Amino acid sequence: MNLQPDDFWTFSEWLFRPGAFLESAFLQGVVLIVLAIVLGLLVGYVISAARYGPGEGFYAVARAIRDLLRTDLPGTSPSRIVALARLAFKEAIRRRVLFVVGLFVVILLLAGWFLNPESDDPARLYISFVLTATNYLVLALALFISAFSLPQDIENRTIYTIVTKPVRATEIVLGRMLGFVAVGTVMLIPMGLASYIFVDRGLDHTHYGVVEANEIDGRIVGKTDRVRKHQHTFTIEAGETQGLTNFVRGHRHVVTRLDDGSFTIGPPTGQLRARIPSYGEIQFYDRNGDPKDSGIDVGAERLAGGYGSAGISRLIGVAKGNRKLEHSYVEGGTLGMAEFTFDNVTRQRFPDKIPFDLSIRAYRSFKGDIESGIRGSLTFKNPDTGFSLTPKQFTVEEYQIDERELPLTFEWLNKETGEVETRNVFDYVVTEDGRMQILLKCLDSSQYLGVTKSGLYLRPAESSFAWNLTKAYGSIWLQMTMIIAFGVMFSTFLSGPVAMVATAVCVLLGFSAESIYDTRHFIDSNIERGGGPIESLVRLVKQDAMTTQLDVEGVANTLIKSADAVIVYTMDAVATALPNLPRMVSTAEYAASGIDIFNAVLARHSVATLGYCLLAFLISYFFLKAREIAA
Amino acid sequence: MDTDSTAVADSADENTPAGAAPVAARSTATGSDVVIETRNLSKIYKDFWGRKKVHALKSLDIEVRKGEIFGLLGPNGSGKSTTIKLILGLLFPTSGRVLVFDKDATETKKNEQIGYLPEESYLYQFLNAEETLDFYGRLFDMSGRQRKQRVEELLTLVGLQGARHRQLREYSKGMRRRVGLAQALINDPDLILLDEPTTGLDPIGIREMKDLILALRDQGKTILLCSHQLGDVQDVCDRVAILHQGELKELGRVTDLLKVQDVTEVHASGLSEEAKNEIREVIARHGADLKSMDNPTATMEDLFLNIVRESEARPGARRVSATASDEPAADEPAADEPAADEPAADEPAADASAADGSQAGSDKS
Ligand SMILES: Nc1ncnc2c1ncn2[C@@H]1O[C@H](COP(=O)(O)OP(=O)(O)OP(=O)(O)O)[C@@H](O)[C@H]1O
Ligand SMILES: [Mg+2]
Repeated sequence: MNLQPDDFWTFSEWLFRPGAFLESAFLQGVVLIVLAIVLGLLVGYVISAARYGPGEGFYAVARAIRDLLRTDLPGTSPSRIVALARLAFKEAIRRRVLFVVGLFVVILLLAGWFLNPESDDPARLYISFVLTATNYLVLALALFISAFSLPQDIENRTIYTIVTKPVRATEIVLGRMLGFVAVGTVMLIPMGLASYIFVDRGLDHTHYGVVEANEIDGRIVGKTDRVRKHQHTFTIEAGETQGLTNFVRGHRHVVTRLDDGSFTIGPPTGQLRARIPSYGEIQFYDRNGDPKDSGIDVGAERLAGGYGSAGISRLIGVAKGNRKLEHSYVEGGTLGMAEFTFDNVTRQRFPDKIPFDLSIRAYRSFKGDIESGIRGSLTFKNPDTGFSLTPKQFTVEEYQIDERELPLTFEWLNKETGEVETRNVFDYVVTEDGRMQILLKCLDSSQYLGVTKSGLYLRPAESSFAWNLTKAYGSIWLQMTMIIAFGVMFSTFLSGPVAMVATAVCVLLGFSAESIYDTRHFIDSNIERGGGPIESLVRLVKQDAMTTQLDVEGVANTLIKSADAVIVYTMDAVATALPNLPRMVSTAEYAASGIDIFNAVLARHSVATLGYCLLAFLISYFFLKAREIAA
Repeated sequence: MDTDSTAVADSADENTPAGAAPVAARSTATGSDVVIETRNLSKIYKDFWGRKKVHALKSLDIEVRKGEIFGLLGPNGSGKSTTIKLILGLLFPTSGRVLVFDKDATETKKNEQIGYLPEESYLYQFLNAEETLDFYGRLFDMSGRQRKQRVEELLTLVGLQGARHRQLREYSKGMRRRVGLAQALINDPDLILLDEPTTGLDPIGIREMKDLILALRDQGKTILLCSHQLGDVQDVCDRVAILHQGELKELGRVTDLLKVQDVTEVHASGLSEEAKNEIREVIARHGADLKSMDNPTATMEDLFLNIVRESEARPGARRVSATASDEPAADEPAADEPAADEPAADEPAADASAADGSQAGSDKS
């Protein structure tokens, strides 16, 4: 998994962006709410001025605000909200929405046939699949239940018996939102359980026997049979009855030797992981050993995407261009390297070893020996004293996490005494304040190794997969809540189908935000990449390539370009205002990669969700309040 | 029947000074016993683009006082339901105002004292009767114990105990109506708005409904109802307002409205006026009991049909006859069409008498 710069932010860094306040989520939220209020007042005034005349219109707006603050907010009663939420809940349940859970189970059962457990990384495949399926199913459901309920109540006039009771608009809106969130929660729980069971069972397999076993000095080295297109080797130490196989496709088995000399092989372990990484700072050095911001680019990775983290400052044009972390490459056989500096490497966090994971890529500039992989080396170094251990060689294993560990002691030849001493890593390789460096080099000349900041990390702890899956479901829950809030908001002033379409448009715009930012960036910096919607259409019709000049002359050209600019800028503003759903969906990627979902990431999604719900709530309130229910 | 001493003076003289009355009346009528007050209330339904569709209510001025049963009558589409919705704040007036308990109709707080039975049963089909009532009880922030007790009482009252666990989608129309009524009474309201309370009910149900309305009045509650069942209105209402195409056509005490003022009912034949006077004198002189000598009453149906017929023949604001007003004529609509319609004012009553007054009167007595 390739993390982006903002993934590393702590919660408060995300909220306030020290040093770059224009990019902060806080500012974005405040601007959004202020804008919504100003726009709301303006729209409210225009509507009521049309209804009551310019003078009265002003008072009507003032009254609405006074009502909200003076009576409606303080008068909002939790028990009425609960009553309305229960109603919304019952309504949804009696409409048999729980069938969706059944549908989900059916999907899982069918998926069992076409998901290939023999793939290279079956755990990722299975986890991604269940999370993606849940995500889209639940979002679609949230869209349906939230957008149709209120309009239907108004159409059936059942709302008459509600609003003629001492029920406030605040309660109607909150009751709906909470009721539907409850429905969603009730559905997510069995879906989560089903997912867990599906993944767990789907990845389960046993090797039936041992095809080869040789005993050398009491130590047994052997090979299991081939199941699901893989086999393991194992060793059982002398005097032991149990041993472990090697890691293949992310898992290993326990092998037990029975008294009669036969072997039994246990279920797979270690494939469902939730590693808790501890990242360091990365510094690249070029082939001459000079520090550089990044390594070598081997492709066009940097071209598109990666704007989302810049917030308002991108919208107003202060921050330009994308900020994407892509693999940067170090050249083999030169002084080029990537230097990772880790903080807080302490005995408490690493009591018996320093586990670390590698997830790096290789780039071959010539074919070389294709049988053997590209080799690299890792050097552990004390940044203060410059003391370093003997470089450790390894062969790159691409597209998977290569788990390694550094023992806490190393042997060292004391040149003065000529004796070999056993030394502790913490005394020599780690500084007093707990810093340690790892230098990554490529050993094969003219071949390249690619890393990002997230390509090499220490792994001080491990969380449970079940909890990580729960967190991923939490993220889905947050998305669902957001969509429900939007759906209810639109349904306070639009008819059911229109409200659903409006919500869906918001979701789609949110999902395509990065492409919209891209287009805007290309327009801003005069890069020919197809242009805005109209220009793209023209190119499509004329069958022009994306990167050529637009082949239209004179006024038409200006017209197309300026119309496109207006459209793209508007879409840009709207997309910036909408929740960043793709970011939330991508938490599934963590779970699939076996990395513990960062709590900071979850916290900021929660806060953003809360913010959007608040916004939707306020807008809904005013629309419902101003609405003539019986008209 | 009312003990009206004007039996002898068989004319409508007292009605003539009506024109001056409203101004004085209005100031006296804003006492605290006015529960609903509409002031110059108008409603125009508009479409999405703000274009006028229907002028459903035109300058309505009525007052409903505490403890009375007030009836709204009118043909289909005359604006009865519109009036009720305006009173509830479900609609916003195009012009004019509605005050309920001296508060603006759009205020939520007033709903704590209001019960509303809508035109049709707008209830949640997927709930059963008990759940429905419990739900509405929750909306009044009632405690669990209170709700349980109240639900029990109301289910007994409307006779749905046997069907309490069945979903409303399975209910018959009348059963739904009953749940609707129970729902309107859940908070023991002081003001009850009933939009056609008797439709869909069986004859026994209608009887019970009428008894209930009277019983509620006796408990000191105020009731505003609209209905097509003129007999029912006649039976229960203290005062009625008759609407036609959004305009107030008649307003007053039922007893007064139905009294045919210029007809004297004497069960005799072949009497001359002198003979009549002589008879009266004779009776008086003899100090005997005068049994059947009164103004006969029309039925509500007669009155209604007459007003509708007349309104259709002569559209426009009709001066509400002062016969209608009871005590200090409080409910006069603004007399915006003064002289032109003057003669018309007394006609319906006259028509009524001419057409079938005596006949009806005899039916009634
Ligand atoms: N929501 C609406 N939109 C447009 N016109 C409406 C609406 N509701 C009512 N009207 C119109 O307003 C007029 C008065 O309707 P209202 O429902 O008040 O009549 P009503 O006296 O209650 O009739 P009924 O006896 O049939 O119940 C009618 O012409 C009706 O068509
Ligand atoms: Mg009606």
